[in-house]
Amino acid sequence: MNRWRRSVGEIQARRRQVSECEQAQSALSKVTACYQQMATCLGSNTDGSSLREELEETRALAHRICTGMHRRLLALLAETEQVQEDREQVERMWVLFLCALENFQQDLRKVSILQETFPLGQRKDRRALVNTGATGGGSEVAGRAATVQTPWVTTEGEKKPDLKSHVLEIDGLLQEMLQRVNVPLWSVEPTQNAWGEGCGDAQDEDDTLEEIMEVEVVSQDNRASGCCNHSNCKLGCIFCLLN
Amino acid sequence: MEAVVLEMQDPKTGVKSQTQRLVITTIPHAITGEDIVEWIANRHVNLQNMGLIYYDYFFFIMLRKSLSTFLSQTPYFWPAQQWPVEDTDYAIYLAKRNIRKKGLLELHEQEQYNNLHKWMNHKWDFIVMQAKEQYRAGKERKKPDRVVFDCQERAYWVVHRPPIIFTQQCIMRPRVKSSVSIGALVKYTTTYKQHDPFLYPCLPSNPWLTDDVTYWHLNMPNVENPTKMRVERWTFSFGELLSDPRGRADFRLFLKKEFSGENLAFWEACEDLKWGAAATMQEKAQQIYKTFLARGAPRWINIDGKTMEITVKGLSHPHRYVLDAAQTHIYMLMKKDSYGRYLKSPVFKETQKKAVAPEAHKFRLDIMHNRRPSLSPIILRQQEEEQKAKLAASGPVDITQLCRYTAPVPHLAVYTGICENQTTASPGLMTLPNSAACPSPISVAIDSTPASERRFDSGPTSSHFPSIAESTEASVSEESQPPAAKSRVALSLSRLLRRGCNAPSVFASLSPKCAVTAGGGKVQPLGEPLAQPQPKRIAKLVRHISDFSLTWKAPRCYTFVKLPIFSRYIVDA
Repeated sequence: MNRWRRSVGEIQARRRQVSECEQAQSALSKVTACYQQMATCLGSNTDGSSLREELEETRALAHRICTGMHRRLLALLAETEQVQEDREQVERMWVLFLCALENFQQDLRKVSILQETFPLGQRKDRRALVNTGATGGGSEVAGRAATVQTPWVTTEGEKKPDLKSHVLEIDGLLQEMLQRVNVPLWSVEPTQNAWGEGCGDAQDEDDTLEEIMEVEVVSQDNRASGCCNHSNCKLGCIFCLLN
Repeated sequence: MEAVVLEMQDPKTGVKSQTQRLVITTIPHAITGEDIVEWIANRHVNLQNMGLIYYDYFFFIMLRKSLSTFLSQTPYFWPAQQWPVEDTDYAIYLAKRNIRKKGLLELHEQEQYNNLHKWMNHKWDFIVMQAKEQYRAGKERKKPDRVVFDCQERAYWVVHRPPIIFTQQCIMRPRVKSSVSIGALVKYTTTYKQHDPFLYPCLPSNPWLTDDVTYWHLNMPNVENPTKMRVERWTFSFGELLSDPRGRADFRLFLKKEFSGENLAFWEACEDLKWGAAATMQEKAQQIYKTFLARGAPRWINIDGKTMEITVKGLSHPHRYVLDAAQTHIYMLMKKDSYGRYLKSPVFKETQKKAVAPEAHKFRLDIMHNRRPSLSPIILRQQEEEQKAKLAASGPVDITQLCRYTAPVPHLAVYTGICENQTTASPGLMTLPNSAACPSPISVAIDSTPASERRFDSGPTSSHFPSIAESTEASVSEESQPPAAKSRVALSLSRLLRRGCNAPSVFASLSPKCAVTAGGGKVQPLGEPLAQPQPKRIAKLVRHISDFSLTWKAPRCYTFVKLPIFSRYIVDA
């Protein structure tokens, strides 16, 4: 009966909040993906203080998104009387948010370890960087991350924690989320089908990329392409695999 | 591991890198595999190249039809204990690949995709979303960097999620029923139990218990008459026969009589290649090819066409195990064919008859009190050398017999064997190419007088022989300086004379064995062996000592074509 008593305004507000959270979810995905892409440059010859700064900025952005989303989702889930389809959607968002946080936390851990392994303080450290064959840094990627728009990002400016405490904070967040809200993870149905993402639009530039990266299949019984013919040689196997 | 990889990066001392062209882009910091291997070899780092690649510190891009270049893996993808490899990441990666390849994933990838989709169903939205975003983020980067990153990622996942082929191979290993394997074990123990020193007392007695070293004397590697137990062990399996040096010598004798000695020689040459020094490997392989495998080779072995094809192909890039197939073939041939005949042959029966069956030791206090130290390894080694030289001495006889009755073939490379026993002594010993292969003729001669040595067994003269032999052997380190060698040899000869040893017998064996080991491939006409002492020649020899103008060609001698290692293989076919 309560349902009918709610005003249109309330329902609209709720819908708005849900869509905000959805936007935030995709934004978070975007930011964490960019963060990961930049993290792969750590320790390589493209590493530099600018990269690290950009990493920090991206992390701050992610932090803001996360905290905002956490609060709003909690609020949404806390309301006991809810419309059915809303509930499913919110639960799904909750689970996805959980996964995203876990994923992001893992990246944060890796980054913190890498930053310790490859410090940039002194000149000799620069020489220790691994030459990976990449030329550009993650600046383009950072630019992409910066374009993320979420409603509360600019308004709710909480202080950004440093890397290690961020990791711990997410830990605590995850614990809390799992305990407070009783949403079974497996009950969430995905909206995407398997293999669905492969049927995207044809993208021409990728074809040339594939050509560039095409590797020859070297089967073990053919001529030894620079490697020995010994049966135990696993190089041949790896050649085959990286087809 | 990581320290080594970082060391490789050092621009001054690390592996040299170059810029790799890749169709329209260029990728810097590329290094070739050979450079890596060379660098590692120079650093004497005990790493396997396989290990590095497997552990994914490097990955490589293979360009079409060109050599593979390596790039270092970015530290983000380095294997580390601090973070486990998550299935979620793999799922995201697979989804990304699906996006790129539009559904055309490999078989194992498809399988894994389906598996992950099944049990990560609740996360699937997140996975797809993340995959899309990562894909788009990746597209922001410059093209060559994208290529590099993609290869990095693929290499990472090849290592951490290898396709199921590998595990399937492990599962498909041949399996044996336990009844069969236990049966084999029982058979082994019943055959060998009487030969096991823990279970049965060894005859005459265990030297550690009785201080009586007869057992060791009787079972020396190159003893003239082996013990009955030892001979019995040869009948157990072909492997036993070959691994026992005395048994191998017996088998070699048998094969010589059958004129199929090239099989054993080839097998020994392959063992030499497998266990020998890496520096000489290339030449060894080539020599083996020339001696045994080439068409019209002097000691051509009979292997089937397919094996021959594989071997010859492999010899274009020789490595230690390139002759494995051929060696196995020859081994099986010998095992199935010659071994059986050997066991029924008169050679073997003779050996069996002469075999010693020692009595059990009787403890006697007086023996115990008169303990003496056993043979020193130096003397053992000298005896081995003598044995080798004896073989060498017996070698040329073969060739003269052959060449007397067959027409000389001009292109036939004639080798006189110095020793074939050398391989059996211990693999490590044979790696001195020059001194071992072409020892000074004098040392050969001196060593090859076991009979005369035995005559001087007691007394001071016996000690001269070893010292002289040693000195000559040690002094002849290069054949390219015959005068110097001869001078030292001459000195030792004069020393010998001064001692007043039984010179004639020594010189008797000297003259036939002299040979010129000058560089170059001259084949000189073969001479006859001089069995009896020839005083006239000896006198001539002595006269020449002071002028250092020994011309070893003057007496009819053998010459051999200079070969680094294979001068020791006897031609007998």
